[in-house]
Amino acid sequence: MDCAPNRYARRSLVLALLCAVLAVVVGIARREGLIPPSLRWAAALLPVLPMAWYFAGLGRWLKSLDELQRLIQLEALLVQFGLTGVVVMGYGLLAKFAVVPNTGIADFWPVLWLVLFFSWAIGQLIVRRKYR
Amino acid sequence: MTNRLRVLRAERAWSQADLAQRLQVSRQTVNAIETGKYDPSLPLAFAIARLFQQPIEAIFSPNGVSDG
Repeated sequence: MDCAPNRYARRSLVLALLCAVLAVVVGIARREGLIPPSLRWAAALLPVLPMAWYFAGLGRWLKSLDELQRLIQLEALLVQFGLTGVVVMGYGLLAKFAVVPNTGIADFWPVLWLVLFFSWAIGQLIVRRKYR
Repeated sequence: MTNRLRVLRAERAWSQADLAQRLQVSRQTVNAIETGKYDPSLPLAFAIARLFQQPIEAIFSPNGVSDG
């Protein structure tokens, strides 16, 4: 049970990589004109599948933990939510003031996954120390 | 809340990992309960009491109250 966060981190990383690989592959296929118009929506949404898989597994994984581990994950997710919100809001405001490039959501979503992963990792470090 | 978990465990010469396995929780959970960083839920407290064959109040007591 002690290695549960490692399992979660590995799973998150694998699904994030899968999402990125699919996005790159679909992007190349689109640029090369390999995707027929009738399949464009399906190809565009293909990288979303790992994300849906991730959230389906997250619920199952949380249920399998003992009560303290579940509390730790809940608190870590709270940190993740807060940090991600602050980073996204901060970046949005900086872009509004033209301090950083104004990337639309079409270009920003890969960064969002990275922010989610690293803010969860920071949350783990903070919360696990509390109960050590 | 204070508890006698560490004493009861030591009396049986169990490691934290042994106790965690018997309670089906992680070793970190046992450690957090023993050090008072985490108060177990009622079901877990009952499971602990059942395992040590003692009433809950003989294992757990509110802060500042000791049953000796």
